[in-house]
Amino acid sequence: MYRLALNMLFGDRAKLAMLLCGLAFSALLMAQQSSVFFGIMSWTYTPMVNIRAQIWVSDSMVEQVNDAKPLRDTDLGRVRSVDGVAWAAPLHTSFVQARMQDGNFKLITLVGIDADTFAGAPAVLTQGRIEDLRLPDTVIVDEWGAALMGRMGVGPDGQPRNQPLTVGDTFEINDIQARIVGICKVRRAFTGGPFVYTTYDRAKGYTLGARRTLSFMLVEPQKGVTPIELCDRIERATGLKAWTSDTVIWSWGERSLARNTFWWFWTNTGIPFSFGTAVLLGLFVGIAISGQTFYSFVLENLKYFAALKAMGAGMGIIARMLFIQAFSAGLIGFGLGVGMAQAIGRVMIEKGMPPFVMYPQILWATFVLVLGISFVSAVIGIIKVSRVDAAAVFRG
Amino acid sequence: MSPVAPIVAVRASGVDMFFGTPENQVVALKQADFEARRGELIMLVGPSGCGKTTLLSVIAGTLTPQAGTVEVFGQRLDGLGQEELTAFRRKHLGFVFQSFNLIPTLTVVENVMVPLLIQGLANDEAHARAKAMLDQVGLKGREDDRPDGLSGGQQQRVAIARALVHEPPLLICDEPTSALDKDTGAHIMQLVRDLSRSPERCVVVVTHDHRIFRFSDRIAEMEDGRISRVFDDPKLLDASHL
Repeated sequence: MYRLALNMLFGDRAKLAMLLCGLAFSALLMAQQSSVFFGIMSWTYTPMVNIRAQIWVSDSMVEQVNDAKPLRDTDLGRVRSVDGVAWAAPLHTSFVQARMQDGNFKLITLVGIDADTFAGAPAVLTQGRIEDLRLPDTVIVDEWGAALMGRMGVGPDGQPRNQPLTVGDTFEINDIQARIVGICKVRRAFTGGPFVYTTYDRAKGYTLGARRTLSFMLVEPQKGVTPIELCDRIERATGLKAWTSDTVIWSWGERSLARNTFWWFWTNTGIPFSFGTAVLLGLFVGIAISGQTFYSFVLENLKYFAALKAMGAGMGIIARMLFIQAFSAGLIGFGLGVGMAQAIGRVMIEKGMPPFVMYPQILWATFVLVLGISFVSAVIGIIKVSRVDAAAVFRG
Repeated sequence: MSPVAPIVAVRASGVDMFFGTPENQVVALKQADFEARRGELIMLVGPSGCGKTTLLSVIAGTLTPQAGTVEVFGQRLDGLGQEELTAFRRKHLGFVFQSFNLIPTLTVVENVMVPLLIQGLANDEAHARAKAMLDQVGLKGREDDRPDGLSGGQQQRVAIARALVHEPPLLICDEPTSALDKDTGAHIMQLVRDLSRSPERCVVVVTHDHRIFRFSDRIAEMEDGRISRVFDDPKLLDASHL
């Protein structure tokens, strides 16, 4: 009987196409918007990805990675003295204006790392060497920033150069020259500014007038000491806040700075509301289109359902038939919608904007919601069929 | 109450059926009595609105009368609940409808399989039996066609195959020839008569079509919600006053 139910559904291709369009569009909207949302939100903790260390230590009032509260340089010594610390390195992060050759200004994320250990240095350099950061007035710029700032550059002929910055090019930070000695590959950040790496001491120079320049301390635990354990020790010994560097935002670990950053943006910005509205819209559009299409499918087949009732099909059989039809359409619609979302996501990732992260949880949530739409559609149909009198078949 | 005599297939006694509100009531059946025997093809005739279809629905268990008793093959229908009525129809009844009611998105053989699948038969067995039934109604080779690819007569043959495939003791036909031309109608009635002719089966046909009266064993004429006359010889019925 259930195979016939599917044949009934697939036999009406126009209606099926309409039904699948509604479900696929709904799945697409929900999956794509959620993926872009989580992509954008993943950019909020980009420094945690680009600056690698097992433990981050900050002022106790820090809530998220983009809002560093400067520490005293002496705090570094206090942290280094905690039992279990293998090493601790200073880190400076700030947003400063860089002046391009054409006179334009660009907000950059300045990252000052320890010149001795290079702790927190970018993992991949596409041009140059990290050691060259020890030369005077030198910086390393990320690839995307080099392209962006390159568009603001001026060639030797005085015309816009429209070429990415490269090793040897210069710009200014607070009237101090910054000479590029390397191009690195890092993830883009929520704030949109390019990442410019330099040494911790030089970063102090670039941020003239700042009394305190120590934003975070990057810490490595000794062998046999877990990051969580060391975080506890650091907090007890120094009164500072110690964070782990894991970026699994779904975990409940309160020590993850990435997770705290994610949820800080979740609660303190309108981004979730904006994307949530789009996801809800997808859900409602899905319910409206699919519900309406499935309902009209049921209406068109009403006399046949009445005939089935007359022939002895109970409501249990008919309800199961309608559920199978609705869920099958839902499954196909989900596949089409998520497939399209993936394709769009691929293009987005290739273009680098906007970010796109499709977590398995997004797929599951979309799957459940699409099946929910199918369920609602089926229930609407079942209610309609249940009210049909089997005797209606004798009325012509 | 005395048990139903073995020869009686359907007996309706003192059946009342009203529609609408008490203030605006339409009387469809009023103290209607009807009897059909095993092995016969009986026709219910009468003018439009006389209650033929309502009586058919009551016999089929798709309508429950407000008063009276209905017995079909010894089973009282008036005391049964909806689920029991559904189960009863599934096993004991076959239907041929005026507008065929073939599901257009299913193939011919799939349409015929429906009553068997409702009964819970396995797909393969249902398919084999439906195919054999289609062979009997002369539609061999058309199993995989869609109903809209068939003529009206062929569609009604499919409907007959669907009605008889599960071998129900009671076949109910509602205006089976009204959508067909004279010759096709005659062929269809001949088919109904040939295939349903069995001492254990009863066929009740509601019709306006006097051209098919000759296929009946008896004719019950209805008027104002009750059976007014029963003709044991169909030739005795003057079609002109219908």
